[in-house]
Amino acid sequence: MNSITLGKVLKRRPFSPLVTRLVTTLATPLVIEEADGTLLLATEGERAVTCYPVTVQGELIGRVYGDEKASLLASLLSYHAEIELERKHLGNETLHKYREITLLYETADKIPFCMEPREIASFLLEQLRQVITFTSATVLLQDKETGLLEVLLAEGNEYRPGARLEPEGIMGAVWASGKGEIVNDAATDPRFVNRPTTVSSLMCAPLHSKESRIGIVMLTSATQRVYLAEDLKLFTTLASQAAVQMENAALYLQLKAAFYTMVYTLAETIEKRDPYTGNHTKRVMEYSLALGRTLNLSDEQLQRLELAAVLHDIGKIGVRDDILLKQSKLTEDEFQQIMRHPVFGEEIISRIPQLSDIIPGVKHHHERFDGRGYPDGLSGAQIDITARIIAVADSFDAMTTDRPYRKGFPFEEAFEELRKNAGTQFDPEIVEAFFASDVMDAYFTANARLA
Amino acid sequence: MPKILVVDDEPHIRYLLELTLEELEEEGVEVITADNGQAALEIIRDEEPALVFLDVMMPKMSGFDVCNAVKNELELGDVYIVLLTAKGQEFDKQRGQEVGADLYMTKPFNPDDVLAKAREVLKR
Repeated sequence: MNSITLGKVLKRRPFSPLVTRLVTTLATPLVIEEADGTLLLATEGERAVTCYPVTVQGELIGRVYGDEKASLLASLLSYHAEIELERKHLGNETLHKYREITLLYETADKIPFCMEPREIASFLLEQLRQVITFTSATVLLQDKETGLLEVLLAEGNEYRPGARLEPEGIMGAVWASGKGEIVNDAATDPRFVNRPTTVSSLMCAPLHSKESRIGIVMLTSATQRVYLAEDLKLFTTLASQAAVQMENAALYLQLKAAFYTMVYTLAETIEKRDPYTGNHTKRVMEYSLALGRTLNLSDEQLQRLELAAVLHDIGKIGVRDDILLKQSKLTEDEFQQIMRHPVFGEEIISRIPQLSDIIPGVKHHHERFDGRGYPDGLSGAQIDITARIIAVADSFDAMTTDRPYRKGFPFEEAFEELRKNAGTQFDPEIVEAFFASDVMDAYFTANARLA
Repeated sequence: MPKILVVDDEPHIRYLLELTLEELEEEGVEVITADNGQAALEIIRDEEPALVFLDVMMPKMSGFDVCNAVKNELELGDVYIVLLTAKGQEFDKQRGQEVGADLYMTKPFNPDDVLAKAREVLKR
């Protein structure tokens, strides 16, 4: 970007009026032209033959014709052009910094939304590409068991994701030292290991998270490049941000898995008390999710649906054994006791803030579409979609499984019951979805898994 | 010849924007600068640039005022106005909308974004 023309230098304010004034004051015939001969300024009078060059760093950028006074003007123009060039260098450097700063801001803004290691790695490369030129990139994570480096993401080279490598060569050195490196002439580095992909220059940085090293990132160029210390610094900074996010995401996923395990365990406690229901909870969850997907629920709604379905009967824990496990017909009073389980469920779940959004699904799974259900007598769209779905799934499973006091209905009869009660007990749209969905697949999957 | 106007009271920002847009000059675009809102308004009225990069925080006449005058008083809706605000400084988005700004960018700006935006607007 050394390009600078005399024309541009002359146009720049406040220099340009100054030159005009100087030329007038000198009161002598003068001609200023660009290096390529383009005329920039000419005064009246006969054109002198003496030519004075205007140069920047030894390079000709224009000429001034005139008497000895013109030499003064040529020197002044050279001097000013030199300053202009320096200013341009500084300006370009500042713009490069601007590019880096905005990149860092953007990374800090967006990286927390990446949750999968691959997604984080791919975002990192995308960001790096905006400021650093490279033809191939590899992101490797350490496999804790074997100590090998496993390829997570590779672009522009022969590595395949999942491949495991010994930490050797330059990569191995960076892995061992934990310090990023620049190798601008790879062929002359004794540690360099030749591979199918041409590498002329490279940079390698560790993925550092808090205390530990979790992997490395390698950027290479097939053609000779001069990577600078500041490139490595930016590269290392972005790589550490990615590493920290990878660790945060892993912790988040662990926490989420632990939470789900807790929820499932909680649901199992009630199953254990009433073994006759034999995996009722899991089937209701499978049916519900199959319905939810057919109804095009969002991921967030499906997540709520799953948890609510798993915990829908948790309130039964508050119902006395002699009623819950009773093998003969319940009295009216005993039935009243059973009917309290959705409210007990609400009470238990409301103690867990992370589950507050599944309360409607649990509390209202015995509401009826026509408003004649319990506990609140809600109807239609007043009943949360998750509760309306669970109601269908729950009833279908109750009908088709054996109970101590009766055999389960054949499927055809259960289907008939659903159809018959669409619009009264059940939301007709959900019953419709039931027949359009892969609920029956879910039934067989659930049973195959439980067998 | 399409024109781009750069308005900022800080000389180095004007220079950096000029430098960013330099490659457009080689393609025949004229880049004009102004160091205050009043001058900017006169240039916009007389020269009708296709695109204006306009600093918000300027003494006397702010970028909001200039934008409002252009869009709502002079009714020069075709002049595409990008408001420039300092990063971290609270930007009144509603105000920006009221005065009819087409876009806002934060300083320090990403030169690649500025150039891409300029190319996009000039193509119209």
